[in-house]
Amino acid sequence: MSGSTVSEPKRSEARCAPSARPPIQMEAVTKRYRGARGIEDMDLELRAGEVFAFLGPNGAGKTTTIRILLDLIRPDAGRVQLFGLDVRRHGVEVRRRVGYLPGELGLYEQLTAREILSHFAYLRGAGRSEPFAELAERFELELSRPVRSLSKGNRQKVALVQALMGDPELLILDEPTTGLDPLVQDQVHATIRSAARSGRSVFLSSHVLSEVASVADRVGIISDGRIARLVRIEELRAAAVHYVDVRFQGQGGYEELCALSNVRITADAGATMSIEVTGSLDPVIAVLARYAIADLTIRETDLETVFRGALGRHDEKPGRGAAA
Amino acid sequence: MRLPRHRDAQLHSIFERAMFEQRHSLYGWGSGLFALALLMCLLYPTVRSNPALATLHETYPKALRSLFGITNLATGTGFLRAELFSVVAPMLVIVLAVLWGGDTIAGEEERGTINLLLSNPVTRWRVLLEKWAALLAGVVAVCGGLAAGLAIGSPLARLDIAWSRLAAAILATALLGALFASVALALGAASGRRGLARGVASLLAVASYLLSSLANLISWLAPLKGLSPWYHALGVDPLSRGLQLDHVSIVAAMTLFAAGVAVVGFERRDLAV
Repeated sequence: MSGSTVSEPKRSEARCAPSARPPIQMEAVTKRYRGARGIEDMDLELRAGEVFAFLGPNGAGKTTTIRILLDLIRPDAGRVQLFGLDVRRHGVEVRRRVGYLPGELGLYEQLTAREILSHFAYLRGAGRSEPFAELAERFELELSRPVRSLSKGNRQKVALVQALMGDPELLILDEPTTGLDPLVQDQVHATIRSAARSGRSVFLSSHVLSEVASVADRVGIISDGRIARLVRIEELRAAAVHYVDVRFQGQGGYEELCALSNVRITADAGATMSIEVTGSLDPVIAVLARYAIADLTIRETDLETVFRGALGRHDEKPGRGAAA
Repeated sequence: MRLPRHRDAQLHSIFERAMFEQRHSLYGWGSGLFALALLMCLLYPTVRSNPALATLHETYPKALRSLFGITNLATGTGFLRAELFSVVAPMLVIVLAVLWGGDTIAGEEERGTINLLLSNPVTRWRVLLEKWAALLAGVVAVCGGLAAGLAIGSPLARLDIAWSRLAAAILATALLGALFASVALALGAASGRRGLARGVASLLAVASYLLSSLANLISWLAPLKGLSPWYHALGVDPLSRGLQLDHVSIVAAMTLFAAGVAVVGFERRDLAV
């Protein structure tokens, strides 16, 4: 009897294993181009339900990586699996579960948005239904106009609706907000976040720091075909700097604040003080609470600045920084 | 210039979309060939009534006669072979076939539409074969214009050619079109470059025409003429001899081979951004 209770969890673990396969897994993937950049020995794993952002300048290898995931190009070496399935051998099965937005968008110019979307819906096995109707409405997409008459933003919306329709388990988005006006960009970000909340996984590339900071859980910084660093946004946030300006009613608590390890005093005029706090604000607040305060303002650096800082530090001292 | 369409077309499969996209050039070329065939037929009575033309071909140098299939212009068969089936109609069909074939995969690639298409749960070979089917259907439809022109013109101008012979010549023309469409498709699918596909396929078409025509004049070319699909299609003169299955099936086999090369070339390749 005791033996069965031990083996029980194991068995259920085994049963769960296929669905627990990571949506994206790349192992030692290399792709070289003649005289051009590719990617070099890349390892990457996307966890289920995660929003992972690929951040890097143009030409760093983001699009190459994404095109390998979709089997549009084939790596020279390494293993590429989505949901535990080889992208080459099980391409159809894999792509049924993936929504893709290409970086360089090419659409059938003579077709209308509806014609394109129903064509792709049919190829995805939706028959002659229109699984995109609701999405098109949400993005205010005019379905009956030929694509050639649409603005860049509207064309991008066609591609976006196409990627999202059918609610795929994994979204692979190559620069999803390029060319969109800020309102629609927010809409896209909201869509990405809500997809992640409902258990979908998202892999996006971007060269826009603020975008990455606002949607991603984890960021891979790519340069010259390699992932230079992996950063958790949460950790980055934890390492964010707060700027505190305080005016005491009486004498300030200079010594006590100085004693705190994460505090740097940038200006001190006795009763008024400016300090920089890295990480937790708690100890600072605890000190200040013991004094009579005339005025207090706290500003947080936006994540973008922190990010920039983290990137900058990386350049000086590779492997060290605010986040692991 | 372009009228707005008030209704969305019902496009679902890749085949349907491909047919839809080539519809304009299909109508244009189909009616062009129809008009050409009809006009040629209607010219025939004036040629027949001119006794000098009956012996004109004897004054031509042998090379010219061979190149342009010129024999007795005063018979319906001789007239139609020289004026339509020796060069003009098959070349027009081949030009269109090569334009289409080269665009089939390489065009989608150059316009960047292939990325989205192949991100769907479809295999590359299915995409290719559906588009190939549309390509062949298009070539056949355009040759339908030629057939319609002849069907009206031939009895009208009393060309006096058996229907089966006319059909054999039209079929041979369509087959040549299908072959060079498939060759251009294969070159485009394997290279991703539309210009290259069209250029090389056109070159091959011209070479096969020259080989077939000049083999009768240049003795060392004679043993090579079996390599020319043009020889097997039109060089064996289906207009006077009717359908010759052995020759026709060689062209069909070449077409299938080209399609096979297209699949293999497309499957193995990295696609351009």
